[in-house]
Amino acid sequence: MAEVAIERLSKRYPRSSEAAVKEVSLTVADGEFMVLLGPSGCGKSTVLRMIAGLEPITAGTVAIDGKVVNEVPAKARDIAMVFQSYALYPHMDVFDNLAFGLRRRGVPTGEIERRVGLAAAKLGLSPFLRRKPHALSGGQRQRVALGRAIVRDPKVFLFDEPLSNLDAALRVSTRNELIRQQQEIGTTTIYVTHDQVEAMTMGHRICIMDKGEVVQIGKPLAVYRDPATTFVARFLGNPPMNLVPVELSHEDGGAAARLCATGIALRQWSQRTLAGHRTLLLGIRPEDLHEDRREAGAGSDADRLVPLPVRVAAVEPLGAETLLVLTLDGLSAEVIARIGRDTRLRAGDRATIWLDTAAIHLFDPGTTRAIPRDL
Amino acid sequence: MAPQALDWRSPLRRAPLLLFLLVYTVVSGGPFLWVAIMSVRTTPEIFASPYALPSRFHWEKFVDAWTRSNYGTYFWNSIIVVVTAVALLTIIGAMVAHCLARYRFPGDRLIRFVILSGMILPPQLLILSLFQILLEYHLYNTLSGLILVYVAGHLAMTVYILEGFFAQIPQDLFDAAKMDGYGDFEIFWRITLPIGVPALFTTVTLNFIILWNEFLYAVVLLTEDDKRTLPLGIMHFMGSHQLDVGMVATGLMIAIGPVIILYALFSDTMIKGMTAGAVR
Repeated sequence: MAEVAIERLSKRYPRSSEAAVKEVSLTVADGEFMVLLGPSGCGKSTVLRMIAGLEPITAGTVAIDGKVVNEVPAKARDIAMVFQSYALYPHMDVFDNLAFGLRRRGVPTGEIERRVGLAAAKLGLSPFLRRKPHALSGGQRQRVALGRAIVRDPKVFLFDEPLSNLDAALRVSTRNELIRQQQEIGTTTIYVTHDQVEAMTMGHRICIMDKGEVVQIGKPLAVYRDPATTFVARFLGNPPMNLVPVELSHEDGGAAARLCATGIALRQWSQRTLAGHRTLLLGIRPEDLHEDRREAGAGSDADRLVPLPVRVAAVEPLGAETLLVLTLDGLSAEVIARIGRDTRLRAGDRATIWLDTAAIHLFDPGTTRAIPRDL
Repeated sequence: MAPQALDWRSPLRRAPLLLFLLVYTVVSGGPFLWVAIMSVRTTPEIFASPYALPSRFHWEKFVDAWTRSNYGTYFWNSIIVVVTAVALLTIIGAMVAHCLARYRFPGDRLIRFVILSGMILPPQLLILSLFQILLEYHLYNTLSGLILVYVAGHLAMTVYILEGFFAQIPQDLFDAAKMDGYGDFEIFWRITLPIGVPALFTTVTLNFIILWNEFLYAVVLLTEDDKRTLPLGIMHFMGSHQLDVGMVATGLMIAIGPVIILYALFSDTMIKGMTAGAVR
């Protein structure tokens, strides 16, 4: 049970011109499940390794329960880590792998046997205690790696992309298993992944990183609803948010965006907020573009929906839903809409797609930051 | 229909391979068998008919060589020198290799270069300076002196082989052990060494065989008869017995014995160590 606080944490590798991690600040509350999410090379694993004590810290502090641990060696931090490669000791059987950390801490033999037996039973490893890692399946190895962390009953769990070596079906079941274990044990957890589905489903909060910096921290759905930058908007969500450049016009009734000859009233932003801008990036998620006006369920507030004349470039049926790849006259980029599976639209058709203005996001094209709604 | 794939299990396909193996076995095993046969025949018998099979097995020649020709002393000298040197080489070499493979520290490349450059110096070049050094430290003509020379001379190759293997052990294992609470030396002892066993067997076997047969340093650095090692003993034998071929063969068989035992015990592990290397 512990709170982990990171203050302006930085890492620069020797002989490297740019810092791998730049002034990352982040607090993980006691018992919280925090996910570090970002593309490969964004510095998320480096942050994790600095928390673990496996990587020297260039600047900033890591504190556990208010105590700065920068100079405390990894072995004394009482943190357990699950590695992407599982890192099982190949010369030891499952029992010894699980008991290795307990033996070092001088836990009595009887107690070791009890705790290893308990963890093994919980993870379904009891029949394999005398097997060596090479005689286990990928999923079993993953569970041994998890068990090795659990038996220690540490202050903090660190996970470094623990599911990426599993096949798709196993990944889903292991993900649920991990969520269940964490809820049961309630240990503070920091989980690194590049998989947005893992981040959305597992984290109490997610911290999105890009190029060594924290871009946004928040609850999964909050971050999905209100991405702070175009990077977050594109990184979370599959397919990613559509971003199209729009011209602003300022009229008496309020500001409006002109998207390929269609005027879109921007009612959630005040004149004052938009005053300084001529062009903006308009963001709209694929699920907020509708094929059918009624399907959108706008009901009482029908003028929320704006018709867009489009041309269907491709139809991608996914089963549960269908993706439309659309082109708009006068717009070079393609726009993707996620609609029901029963569409009759075919590639080459001209059609009208309804855009839900309540779901619009605006971004400053210069800073890429979101312009917050203020009405 | 596609042409039938070549089946390497068919006898016709295997014939060239079997023929090659047969020739190879005869070429490499033949001389050994010849010496083995000569070791139980007397010299007059050998001169009468060099390639004949023994008419009677003269096992007493082994007892003769051991008791009357000081062979027991040579044998034990060799055992003491080689076993101590190999033990030191293995422990020191493994520690050096672990450090070079695992840690980045200022000057690590220079240290690696200095150690490994020891491999390219021919022994003939070093022998005079070694002679001088041992003389000054009163180690000349002692077994401990020879042991030190052997350790120094073969450390480079030992480190080279072990470092190559240790470097392939995934870093995650060491990180995991650190997270489990282990310090640097314990990690070496509990992770690197047990996982590196195949590589350790390789260096133990190689060093043992090379040092067991080492002649040049031994002949220069040991002068007293009761300090000599086996290779010197065989030479000594040739001189005093005026090329007693039968006894030389008996001596050779005694000398080869431990090497064969070592091979029989470790060859499997050694081949694994030289070929596999991968841990996962």
